[in-house]
Amino acid sequence: MSRAMAGRGSVALVDVNCFYASAERAFDPSLEGRPLVVLSNNDGCAVTRSPEAKALGISLGEPWFKLAPRAKEWGLVARSSNYELYGDISARVMELLGRYSAWLEVYSIDEAFLGVNGTPEELQRLGHNIKTAVRRNVGVPVCVGIAGTKTLAKLANKWAKHNPAFDGVCHWDAVPAAQREKLMAGLSVIELWGVAARLTKRLNAQNIHTVLDLARADPIKIRDRFSVVLMRTVLELNGTPCIPLEEERIGRDQLIFSRSFATPITTGAGLRQVLGIYAQQASARLARHRLQAKLLTAFAATSYYNPQESSNPTVCVPLPMPTADPVLLARAAYALLPRIDDGVKYVRAGIMVTDLRPTGNQAPLAVFENPHEERGIGPLLEDVSRRYGRGSIGLGFAGIRGGPDWSMKRDMLSPRYTTHWAELPVVKAA
Amino acid sequence: MGVIIGPRVIDAGTSLLSVLISPVPVAAGYPSPAQDYFDGRIDLNEHLIKDITSTYVVRVSGDSMERAGISDGDELIVNRALEPRDGCVVVAVLDGELTVKRLRITTSGVVLQADNPRYPDIRVPALSDLVIWGVATRCLHHV
Repeated sequence: MSRAMAGRGSVALVDVNCFYASAERAFDPSLEGRPLVVLSNNDGCAVTRSPEAKALGISLGEPWFKLAPRAKEWGLVARSSNYELYGDISARVMELLGRYSAWLEVYSIDEAFLGVNGTPEELQRLGHNIKTAVRRNVGVPVCVGIAGTKTLAKLANKWAKHNPAFDGVCHWDAVPAAQREKLMAGLSVIELWGVAARLTKRLNAQNIHTVLDLARADPIKIRDRFSVVLMRTVLELNGTPCIPLEEERIGRDQLIFSRSFATPITTGAGLRQVLGIYAQQASARLARHRLQAKLLTAFAATSYYNPQESSNPTVCVPLPMPTADPVLLARAAYALLPRIDDGVKYVRAGIMVTDLRPTGNQAPLAVFENPHEERGIGPLLEDVSRRYGRGSIGLGFAGIRGGPDWSMKRDMLSPRYTTHWAELPVVKAA
Repeated sequence: MGVIIGPRVIDAGTSLLSVLISPVPVAAGYPSPAQDYFDGRIDLNEHLIKDITSTYVVRVSGDSMERAGISDGDELIVNRALEPRDGCVVVAVLDGELTVKRLRITTSGVVLQADNPRYPDIRVPALSDLVIWGVATRCLHHV
């Protein structure tokens, strides 16, 4: 169990509204108020929709070729996934959030849990401060859900997002009990954090349909009929914090590795070692799923119990090519090291890889091919290299199988405003 | 032997020197220890950027701020965290575009001015009627 969860304190879940779309709008105000979708790799389907696009009835995952013919009529704008931009904006958001709490768990590219202390009124004020600061300093809108447990913080965040009365910030305990029950009764269990479609069916068979049904279920029976994991959800819905930090997560388009250390790390050398290990783990995981990454985010954090030296450095590094190579990933992660304050006690660090794509779909040209990938780098990496070699051997000789990376279809790509000198945002002096 | 171009994140607080391009061509095969640290030299990030999380670099297009020393093609360092004050050079959102102007806050209202009489002032009753994107702190002027 996370130490921060163990006793006092609350959890705030902060996430960016329609993250990819908001990141696009931050640098192109003409997109404000217009229906906007961000497309998956190769401009396949809509992965993010602005509220205006949702209002048009566009669903998540809808293929672009179906939307394109009506785009003009709708005034719909599409953008290709600009992972470098999103990665950088994400790193900025996380760093800023780190100023508000000495305990920060980066949960995904666009959401983080923060450990916070205070009365509901104080915490609501804090939530509004966070919302204002992220909007102003970084340029993207967030919603904040605050509660005694992560599961409830997730719920509170959902309500903050969907109910305009909350103005983007919802403290669970500040909502009257009757209203909370009503909200829970109106929400299907599938809306809950960590409850998948299959589980929903089994729950329905037990006559558990809504979040309120589940909250009122007997935790022991839930454990016996389902799992310890679901029992924790029941307990958390009733205010008992018991969801531990997740140390490894695979999302739709990202992979996160993060650990708390048994003893704090205070030196760059120590952190370098840790980042190297995560890079190897990420590499193995990518190889297992036959994926390569194009972008890496590395972060470190100080303890919840040590607000005096709060430090949450985060960097986002574009990789020179799509890769699962442990050495390339490690080198990218080391970009964090110059941001480390020497002597500060770091208790947690992690890396996140994004902009994932299948291995071999975009073979690099021979000159860009990374020799590590054909080589065993110690026994730990042999397995990785073997899997990897099979997929990529002969690429340099056999020519280009899937076309080079830059031929990947990203016709509607916005500039990489914050990571490339040649692509800076243009401001008009007229 | 391949040459690996170093990571090029402008904002990430890595030294600006390392941002532009890695100065050490890396023989692929072993990571060079020299790749990760740059010691001793002047770090422009440190001197030009006070709050790296909130700072963006933008490029100017047009000549309306010429008299402020801001020319077509110059880069501005923009800090979004700063409170816009009277006299600041700001990036404001006008008609869906990022636009650089000088901000004037007076008792009779708020004005966005070009430092060039050929361009008309934009007057609004209050600062809240404007979307100020950020406050420019430095101009990287091409000489």
